[in-house]
Amino acid sequence: MSTYWRLFRNTERSVSTAEGLSVDDTLPWSVAQGDSPPILHLYTFVPSVIVGKYQDIEAALKLDRCRARGVEFNRRSTGGGTVIMGPEVVALGFGFRADTPGFEPGISGIFRTVSGVLIRALETLGIRAVFQPKNDLEVGGKKIAGLSAANETGACLLFHTSLLVDFDVPLMLDIMNTPLIKVRDKGYSCFSRRMTTVRQELGRSIGVTTVMDAVQEAFEERFGIRFREDHPSARERDSIERFIKERYTREDWIFSHKHPRSRMGVGRLKTRGGLLEIYLSLAGASIENVVITGDFFSTPENVHRLENALKWTSAREERIRENLASVWEEDMIHGLDVPTLTRAILLAKENQMRL
Amino acid sequence: MAEIKGYDMPDELYYNKDHCWARVDGSRVTVGMSDFFQKEAGDIVFIDLPEEEDEVEQGEVCGKIQSRKWIGKIVAPVSGEIVEVNEELEEDTSLINTDPYGEGWILVIDASDLEEELENLIHGEAVVDFIEAEIKRAEEEKAKA
Repeated sequence: MSTYWRLFRNTERSVSTAEGLSVDDTLPWSVAQGDSPPILHLYTFVPSVIVGKYQDIEAALKLDRCRARGVEFNRRSTGGGTVIMGPEVVALGFGFRADTPGFEPGISGIFRTVSGVLIRALETLGIRAVFQPKNDLEVGGKKIAGLSAANETGACLLFHTSLLVDFDVPLMLDIMNTPLIKVRDKGYSCFSRRMTTVRQELGRSIGVTTVMDAVQEAFEERFGIRFREDHPSARERDSIERFIKERYTREDWIFSHKHPRSRMGVGRLKTRGGLLEIYLSLAGASIENVVITGDFFSTPENVHRLENALKWTSAREERIRENLASVWEEDMIHGLDVPTLTRAILLAKENQMRL
Repeated sequence: MAEIKGYDMPDELYYNKDHCWARVDGSRVTVGMSDFFQKEAGDIVFIDLPEEEDEVEQGEVCGKIQSRKWIGKIVAPVSGEIVEVNEELEEDTSLINTDPYGEGWILVIDASDLEEELENLIHGEAVVDFIEAEIKRAEEEKAKA
């Protein structure tokens, strides 16, 4: 006999940030009440930008540009950084108990498990993605999906993913506030070199519903279950309304001051391998983002691998060195080594300014 | 200091299933996250601390902790009033990773029902079973994947 999980699949319309995020927050709540098996929510947002729970929204976004362009902004309940959402980005919310059979336990185990499902989904579409522990899914060194999670209710978790089917880079450059957007890396914006989409990888048009089908089937295959399409129950609708009213339309949530201080620094170092330029975004004592650029020889994959090893980690010197060393391979950046790269990052850290 | 499968789990401490530790000194209970937690979570990037004078119940969520893109709970190991929080962590959350049982302490609770509630926590020999069960479950699911 098949085990059924629930599927909330919305392909009729793109939803507001308040609605989509409130449905997502209801998923682990409902599972924790004992009312429901795991629930997968597949949908799209109206053009919007969403920051992580503990991000400084005023430092992350140009709010006046968002308002002028009619781009919604909001704050989600899971971790991580800014994501641009819209009708061509598949949003995934998944609510489940942490001890659901088939999930590797622990934080990294859960990220690995869900990533495995998404990698399989992309594979069935003809895209070979890999998991960049512990952050993103990448294709050829470029990010195609971001993952984040939160454990708010008992043993139940909410997992969020944004999977890029298509993406508006100029919009992102216009509404994001981080000075990182100014970085030009060999003539490209740093985002063009570090992000990709399903359509770009396939070289053809593909609908978001086809991508949703692939995600749904990959879940069924991985966990040996079937999905039953469903809608929120009356109790769940009450919860959604509550989250809309008490969280996602409230200024004290959207403009929450519970976040570390945002700072930005640039470090330039002449090395044997060429000029090294580091753009560092700091959140408190942690690295939120880093761009390694300059006139050295390397590949986008290798540069991104090094950058990724540092994102959302401590900005302490020994941790920078350890994290770089954990992925370093000989000649990853020609003529450079871990101590030199660490020195350049520390220079950027020393030059930090408040955003 | 007891080492269990590579994790430091001091003998004198009490633990809950959410990986908080509790150090008892009279009615004052200092709380932090265990070495098992910090190794599993990786670098802690933010901590959402409760306010002093907040009342908490055993098992209640009294704070949030972010590692990379994951946000988890700090679950009170005992009931009582929060009388101190470690404000150093607001500047440097990495203390939880570098010194989880020392400078990385999170808060102090003035416990209201200590004797009875300590019975609900993991202590002594049971810590070995708890950690071994966590590791075993991880290995089993990895093997299935």
